[in-house]
Amino acid sequence: MQLAPTAFLRDWAFGPLAFGMLVGLVMFFAAAGLIMGVRAWAGTEPVAFGPVVLGAYWFGLAGWLLGIGVWSKWAKEWLGLPVDRTMKTGWQRYFDFTTDHKVIGVQYLVTFLSMFLLAGVLAMLMRIEHMSGDQVLFSPAQYNYVMSLHGITMVFVAVAAVIGGFGNYAVPILIGAKDMAYPRLNALSFWLAAAVPVLLAATFFAGGFDAGWTAYAPLSTENSDGQVLFNLAFITLGLSSIAGSINFIVTVIKLRAHGMGFDRLPIFVWAVFAMSLLGFFFTQYIAAAMLMTLLDRVFGMAFFDFTEGGDPLLYQHIFWFYSHPAVYIMGVPGLALALEVISHFSRKPLFAYRWVVGGILGITALSAIVWAHHMFTAGLSTAELFFFITTTEVISIPTGLIFLGALGTIWRGRLWLRTPMLFALAVVFNFLIGGLTGIFLADVFTDIHLQDTFFVVAHFHYTIVGAGIFGLFAGIYYWFPKITGRTYSEHLAQLHFWWTFLSFNLTFLPMFWLGLNGMNRRIAVYPEELEFLNLLVSLGGFSLGASFLVFLYNILKSWIRGPVAEADPWRARTLEWQTSSPPPVENFTEAPRVVSGPYDYGSPSTAHAVFGASTNPDGAG
Amino acid sequence: MAEICHKTSSILTTSSGTTTVIDLTGSEPQAHERKTLLNGRNVVTVFVIWLGLTVLGVFGAYHADIYPIAGNHLASQVDDAFRLLMMLAVPVFTFVVTILVYSMVRFRRKTDADDTPPHTFHSHGGVIWGWLVVTSGLTIAVLIHPGFTGLRELTADRHQDMVVEALAAQWSWNFTFPEHGVKLDKANDLMLPQGTRIRFDVTSRDVVHSLWLPMYRMKIDAVPGRTNHIYLTTGEPISFSEDPNVRVQCAELCGTGHPRMQVRVSIVDQQEFDIWLGGLEPVIVGNE
Repeated sequence: MQLAPTAFLRDWAFGPLAFGMLVGLVMFFAAAGLIMGVRAWAGTEPVAFGPVVLGAYWFGLAGWLLGIGVWSKWAKEWLGLPVDRTMKTGWQRYFDFTTDHKVIGVQYLVTFLSMFLLAGVLAMLMRIEHMSGDQVLFSPAQYNYVMSLHGITMVFVAVAAVIGGFGNYAVPILIGAKDMAYPRLNALSFWLAAAVPVLLAATFFAGGFDAGWTAYAPLSTENSDGQVLFNLAFITLGLSSIAGSINFIVTVIKLRAHGMGFDRLPIFVWAVFAMSLLGFFFTQYIAAAMLMTLLDRVFGMAFFDFTEGGDPLLYQHIFWFYSHPAVYIMGVPGLALALEVISHFSRKPLFAYRWVVGGILGITALSAIVWAHHMFTAGLSTAELFFFITTTEVISIPTGLIFLGALGTIWRGRLWLRTPMLFALAVVFNFLIGGLTGIFLADVFTDIHLQDTFFVVAHFHYTIVGAGIFGLFAGIYYWFPKITGRTYSEHLAQLHFWWTFLSFNLTFLPMFWLGLNGMNRRIAVYPEELEFLNLLVSLGGFSLGASFLVFLYNILKSWIRGPVAEADPWRARTLEWQTSSPPPVENFTEAPRVVSGPYDYGSPSTAHAVFGASTNPDGAG
Repeated sequence: MAEICHKTSSILTTSSGTTTVIDLTGSEPQAHERKTLLNGRNVVTVFVIWLGLTVLGVFGAYHADIYPIAGNHLASQVDDAFRLLMMLAVPVFTFVVTILVYSMVRFRRKTDADDTPPHTFHSHGGVIWGWLVVTSGLTIAVLIHPGFTGLRELTADRHQDMVVEALAAQWSWNFTFPEHGVKLDKANDLMLPQGTRIRFDVTSRDVVHSLWLPMYRMKIDAVPGRTNHIYLTTGEPISFSEDPNVRVQCAELCGTGHPRMQVRVSIVDQQEFDIWLGGLEPVIVGNE
């Protein structure tokens, strides 16, 4: 059978999308029909959500990927057939199986920013509910669904927006490469990830899910059918992450430009590299946890079922074995992006560069052995508590080196307080609060009370939003001229910054007090003594939500009709600024040759890189 | 330029009209670097601001009355630990914030032409090692106290006057008093005798729950298939009607009934407790 799209489907802007959906749906329903037929033949009730969807999903996913371009642009060559090498131009590239890393970066950014804003709307709804200590807006089941959907969507955003977005867009340019090492695998990673919001949206029609983003078994093996889609979404994003991690690791090792030693890598590249190591080694564990829950649920396997010899704590161990490293995957790229911006906007070299790299690698290594600090109240032995309190506290030493890098860089610099720099400095401030409050949670004695309260909610919003998402916005404003070739309104951008920064702190700072004073998390009902402060938090939250309207207006308007940007509006040294805005396909017209560090401000006579074959300061080929 | 070095370990920097080749590794900064980083006036100003904020902050952290009701001695010790961690966090917080804000004001770029700082430096061995020593010292300090000391406080005393078995189920708490042979299913109210050391044996019938007594700063998960223990000593008489933190609250998401899975607690004298126990349902052996 010839699956190649017709000329119409190939040429129409939404052809690949439509064809992917069509093939995906056909394969999904064909597989579902087959499974139901087999079930009927075997004498079981043919229609059962869990088994049918768990089986048919993989066919639907394969159909979606084949239809959108894996078949016509890739898989055909495995059979010796000619592949379609045409490449769309203009906006149509974004709706196709495009291999250009810059297109893929923008695809990630727009997809996950949209998810961020939608999950933000869910947060607004939760804050309406929390304006009163009693139930006002949602039934308990609805609240749990909204809360769980907000949680998992934001976790996916935090995992994928900075690495998927700016990792893809910037890393190849920053190291002077033409593209990622495996461009088609890169496109595959994105289109895998694109299935995730579809699955999350589909949970609405499957009864939702109510087990939070952590989906602890056995709650997640017996709740409504939406949980199956949640687990499949997590596994799918996991596959995307593993493929993306392999791509980043190989790209950074193999495709650095001439002269780009590891001691000259921009710090953001180091962070993406280190976090890709985490993604590569640990994402399989979350896939395992999700798959084991599905198997418990669908086939009655008993990994986590105590009545059949399973252990619910096993789930928590496997889950956090990935998910603790994952919180660094969410936070560290944003932190590094802030350091990147801080150096360029302080007009000074990144202070103690090697020590900051050591800090990032130290965090990477230690993050593998701290997972059980999420389980201090789960009934661990004293020896386990002793071990995990130690490793967890020690992680503050490498983390401190990142602060040292930031402070040493701004010290006696020439701080250019434009929007990217403001967001970057806010990352330092927010992450400071997030880090310091982490110590209260790392210490078993205080954590036992604070575990599963709003203290934890405040803490992880300060780290993941305060560092990861603020870092994302630092990156958006920093690279907007490069990506779009246009300039945004600095006034509106600064309005957005101050509005967001103040609202963020108004929203999350009081939550520490709420948690300490008896407000547990994941609830719609709480003691009425806490109502006033919750009202304040809600108002802060609404203000935080509204601040993003300024962002949206500014970005959309500037993208369409903003003033044209120059190649290097920040006069920054790194390679992405040494090519046009936006850069051409394959990034550079002449191959760069890196001749000094990326942050060597104050030495005007040396550039970071020279272009063309004529200049060869190394005297080597 | 002839001076442009060709090794990755060194880099050209221009400063005050002089040209110096310095080492990128950070191990041996030259004298000129050391001077530019720790330039006198800025350092003194920052130190004074930091010291002032720190004194204020530590004073505030020490006196801040932000804690819920503490039902026993251990709860007060937990609050002391919280307070100590705050007092240790204050100097770190004020240090970073002082440098951030001071730099934003003092080192901000004033004109477009004013693009290059007068001094650049890549590294400073003394500052880096000092930073490492201080952060490591603080880490080890909080690890020992309240980290390890608190852990010992929690686990040292393994005796009890009374056992309460708590069985969690969606969505209620069921308590059994094995020494008295009575039980209380789907509890709304729980009475406990004052000044008594109680061991809670906590488990669950269905999903993971968590038994939280905010006033005792005590929490343990109810995990199906295993029994977890906590020990606590009740304090003076008090009841839920006086403070909402005198309650048992489920703290682990367990389904729709999760937020309302709570029990009002009263700490009463022994006599009242015995009367209350007498009114409970007897446990029939073999009919668990």
